Amino acid sequence: MSPRYSHRHGLKPLGAGIGLRRDFYDALPRTTRKLDWVEIIPENFLSLGGRSQRALDACRERWTLLPHGVGLNIGGPDALDDDYVTRLAALVKRLDAPFFSDHLCYSRLGGVHLHDLLPLPFTEEAVEHVVPRVREVMARVERPFLLENPSYYAAMPGGTLQEADFLRQVVEAADCGLLLDVNNVWVNATNHGYDPRAFVDALPLERVVQVHLAGHDVGEKVLIDTHGDRVCDDVWALYRYTLERTGPVSTLIEWDQAIPSLDAVLDEADLARGVLAEASR
Amino acid sequence: MKPGLKHFFDSMDAYLSGPPGAEGLSKLSASHPGWDVAPERMALYGQFVRGHVRSTLEKLFPFTRKAVTAAAWDALVEGYTRTRPARHYELNRLGEGFAPFVADATQAQGLPPFLPALARFEWTDFAVFASEEALPESVERLTPNPTLAVLEQPYRLCAFVRAQDGAVQPAAGDELALLWRHPEALVTYYMAATPPALLVLKMAVEGLSEEAVAQATGMAAGDVHAEVVRFAKDGLVLRPAG
Repeated sequence: MSPRYSHRHGLKPLGAGIGLRRDFYDALPRTTRKLDWVEIIPENFLSLGGRSQRALDACRERWTLLPHGVGLNIGGPDALDDDYVTRLAALVKRLDAPFFSDHLCYSRLGGVHLHDLLPLPFTEEAVEHVVPRVREVMARVERPFLLENPSYYAAMPGGTLQEADFLRQVVEAADCGLLLDVNNVWVNATNHGYDPRAFVDALPLERVVQVHLAGHDVGEKVLIDTHGDRVCDDVWALYRYTLERTGPVSTLIEWDQAIPSLDAVLDEADLARGVLAEASR
Repeated sequence: MKPGLKHFFDSMDAYLSGPPGAEGLSKLSASHPGWDVAPERMALYGQFVRGHVRSTLEKLFPFTRKAVTAAAWDALVEGYTRTRPARHYELNRLGEGFAPFVADATQAQGLPPFLPALARFEWTDFAVFASEEALPESVERLTPNPTLAVLEQPYRLCAFVRAQDGAVQPAAGDELALLWRHPEALVTYYMAATPPALLVLKMAVEGLSEEAVAQATGMAAGDVHAEVVRFAKDGLVLRPAG
């Protein structure tokens, strides 16, 4: 196993964090609850002023902020959006974020933003396409970069690689980190009928710098990755399984739909912090 | 990019830019022989992508939506979605072209004549709220709020929106609407321009002193000062500290 990505870049586990969402712009900076770090969606701060910036500045005074994008379009056919990358780099520097992340997917076609995270075909062609784009982003932003394993509901045509191989080939060739979304692993494993633990074992775990946990909706025939509920027991169990192999890593509770009270989200972060403590013993 | 990957993206682009329904899914599937995919799974992506346009419009334009029938709203949303309006990474920006689209559709579809102005007002409300204009921490002289937007419109939309009482339509009549982001509350304030508001803005733009205005208008100096204080409190103008 190669040296851990986090060690090479001096990245330490930050503990348990939650996302800065609009519902929490006023309450989060004032909370007296324990919180180790905060994730932001940079698209909400790159070109919006007013309340967004005030909330960002207030949180920056208290916590490490980690930008986690949804609009980089790292796998798409369009050239990288120069304005987006320029603003992202400026934001990462302004926040002094230790690293930043986005998803291994595409989100723009023909100049149109899809505002969703669409899966790539698991092919060598896609690997060859994505890797230089990741390198370009890292060179421009000049911070360690993580790619997240996205959820997907259908395998795209022409796939020649297993999903875990595809992830491995991209992050190893690009030499970036991996943001392991454990809920996505569970959702994908259920929807596509594979063993989630074997999938975790097949990943380049030495590159995992951050974990996402979230809730999902249980449909009639498919699980939907909504980030709209508490983390379910199966995902907590898979999280423990993962930490047994990675050791403690920065962990985020994602809650983006049907957002409850701030306390309810922080309760989930407390649970994650407890599991992290178990993992570090 | 290799041809196989380009073909994949082209086929997805054709599917996602086309009308919702089974036909697009069939074409997508047919363009990849041997691809064993459940149509209902692929349909999710079309629903998600189109759903983002709809949900964003419904968040940004609640009064415009309420002013038309559900069927008319659906037609507007579907028509606008076909224009592929999401050209910016910030989701809300897809609403930027909605008011002009509504203006084009209003006559053709027999929609209420005030609808374009209402949609423009709602977009301006958001644009002011989210403006990147930074307010200075302090000013040396009376200064207009840098987020200020001015709309000339043939309906009394400020009262209509403020009432939120389900009135069927706004009163007709020319209105100069002022919209700005309050420096502390950071929400959009709006009002139909009044002579005192325009006077205070003129003072800020032209650097006129309260004394000079009192002398030129015949107003009592104390009354001029009171108007300046009132509109500064509302954030329409920024006053020097002290």
